[in-house]
Amino acid sequence: MASITPTGSAPSATGALPPGFRHRRVPGGKSWLGWILVAPGLIGLVLFIIAPLLGSLVLGFFNYTLLGGGAFTGLANFTHLFRDPQFLNSVRVTAIFVAVYTPLNLALSLAMALWLKSWVAGKAALRVIFLIPALSPIVVNAVIFRLLLQQNGAINETLAGIGVSPIPWLSDGNWAMVAIIMVSLWQSFGYNMIILGAGLDSISPDVIAASRIDGAGPLRRLRSITLPLLSPALFFTTVLTVIGAWQVFIQVYIMTGGGPGQSTETIMMYLYATGFTFNQLGYASAIAAVLFVIIAIVTLIQLWGQKQWVHYD
Amino acid sequence: MITPKAKVHGRTGRADRQCRISRRGRTVVAATLSVGLVAAALAGCAGGNNSSSSGMDGKTVKMFTWVGSSDEHAQWQSYIDGGKLDDPSLSVSFSGPAIGSYYTKLPTELKGSSAPCIITLQNGQLAPYASALVPLDSYAKSAGVSISSYDPSMIKQLSQGGKVYALPYDAEPMVLYYNKKLFAAAGVPDPSTNWTTSDFLAAAKATTKNGVYGFAIGQAIGAVGTWMAANGESYISNAGKSDLSSATLKSRFQWLVDLATKYKVATPLEASGGTFPDIDKFGSGQAAMFLNGTWDFLHESQQIGKDNLGVATIPSDNGKPFGSIAGTGYAVTKTCSDKTAAFKAIAAMTSAKSQQFVAKSRSQVPARADSLAAWQSSVGAQPAAVVKALTEHSQNLPAATNANQINTLFTQYEVDAFSGKSSVSEVLQQVAAGAGQ
Repeated sequence: MASITPTGSAPSATGALPPGFRHRRVPGGKSWLGWILVAPGLIGLVLFIIAPLLGSLVLGFFNYTLLGGGAFTGLANFTHLFRDPQFLNSVRVTAIFVAVYTPLNLALSLAMALWLKSWVAGKAALRVIFLIPALSPIVVNAVIFRLLLQQNGAINETLAGIGVSPIPWLSDGNWAMVAIIMVSLWQSFGYNMIILGAGLDSISPDVIAASRIDGAGPLRRLRSITLPLLSPALFFTTVLTVIGAWQVFIQVYIMTGGGPGQSTETIMMYLYATGFTFNQLGYASAIAAVLFVIIAIVTLIQLWGQKQWVHYD
Repeated sequence: MITPKAKVHGRTGRADRQCRISRRGRTVVAATLSVGLVAAALAGCAGGNNSSSSGMDGKTVKMFTWVGSSDEHAQWQSYIDGGKLDDPSLSVSFSGPAIGSYYTKLPTELKGSSAPCIITLQNGQLAPYASALVPLDSYAKSAGVSISSYDPSMIKQLSQGGKVYALPYDAEPMVLYYNKKLFAAAGVPDPSTNWTTSDFLAAAKATTKNGVYGFAIGQAIGAVGTWMAANGESYISNAGKSDLSSATLKSRFQWLVDLATKYKVATPLEASGGTFPDIDKFGSGQAAMFLNGTWDFLHESQQIGKDNLGVATIPSDNGKPFGSIAGTGYAVTKTCSDKTAAFKAIAAMTSAKSQQFVAKSRSQVPARADSLAAWQSSVGAQPAAVVKALTEHSQNLPAATNANQINTLFTQYEVDAFSGKSSVSEVLQQVAAGAGQ
């Protein structure tokens, strides 16, 4: 890390440098160079990630309000969380969202990536078109979907045109969750599609050709060649999608506000309402800390589990 | 990693080197963390708002309010322009989010390093923010401003513990807006100031046709509270305690649900994050009637045309008009570095000259009796008669101390009453449970 010789020009056995080469002095010694180079990122990490995280964790031990200050309450916020039916409901709602949305997202992204890998006219343009929802602000997507899904909105009007009864997208709890999952898929499948597409592009055509010569059909090639070689990209997208799913907020905030009832009130939605509508910042910080732990545990399980199915060779 | 130093000191072992490097690494990481935490702490201090010019930009007073549209921007500018008629040196800048997220952002704004000198508060919203505001009584006395010049019901709603925390710029009754064209097409006469709930229902039924509904229901518990107030009822005690088991609250809520599910004269409410479906439906001609304050007069005139816009009293069971007054006031923050200048700005923006100016230009009902004539000449005889009837028999709507929490929960749960999943009693029980009552 601290070597300052030109690449491939290691010092000779005697320690002498080739003519014209000499050591440049780095203030504070060579080993500091790396740290100096890393420092901007490290300071940013501390300032914008670690310090707020620690601050939030500390607030979790206080009965804190923005305008009223706070008093130290120890573990009271955390112990209350596990008796709070609204919080427990929000964990259940978020877990359902993660369990349904994640596989649907990955299946859709993979299907689209495989389709665009095959012979399709104008596939470069199609890739861009499918990426547009991911590039547009989620607030805009959520507002448009809300208008489309209203009782007398375009989707129900279209369904009525083909004889299908109106669907209570935003007035029934189950359908409201379906609506949230729909807009989430619309928003993010394009991003995963691009990553998986890049993973597919990196698979050697020779391997595919060899499998064809060996008589493997399309399904066998997919199961035994493509998916194993795509597994690093699939793992990456799975981890990021799961983390994002646990933090789902904006589409819920815009489309349903957590309703009807609490049927779409995710952990982030409950956290926001607790902190900024009910002004209980200490309790909201405790929710944030628990959410962080949930995501950390799920991610660690995924990292541990990758040994079983991810192939890096 | 091979360092020249390790080569020179040949006896330095690998473990020692690693140990030394590790120590260095730890030192650097610790130093970086320290720098970061100190910087964060400093940033936190900056957020503590100790600046000597807090809330001021030179001579300009900073105001935080809701500015969700060009129309709202024009409204605030009107009050400033009107204030300049009273005090030509007045200089106020303003910014803020849409009303839907104003109160959730307000605490953060008050705690931040750029906290304003002036904020705006609707009636019923004082309690959560009073601790960050200064009482205005002494400033008014020093400046020679008479509190009694303002509408007493608004002053009462903007006071706490016997102290006035905000001066109102408007005092506006809740009214029923109706679409004259849709009424005429359905053969329904214009409502009188003594019309009853039955008259209203008949009008709603008659105007419900061709994809248009007779009435648009507003979200949140305020929509129920307005119907209650029109009948002289309230579910909130004078101490600010909500009684969510109130029989009258249940029956009025049930009646609103019935409008959608039994009489089919309104669309059922759906889940939504902070929108105003009633305003949207009326403004786009999809509903013939809805409820709102007179502050919406100009906006609705622009939406469906001034000649097409009718204003009526909110019907009551016995036909006697009964109004509930709502409005907004300006308050001064504790962190403001020049509270005298801030109060002076408020006094100018709520002066008779300013309110008369805004009453004429924007049709908002002023909070001063000496400015009402200007408003009446601006809106015409019919709306003026309605407001007169309502203000002659009006009450101060007490506000719940946990109004934001109740409203959020009610907005979430009321959808289940409209869809038939829960009864109104169950909805109110769920709201009460969520609010810890």
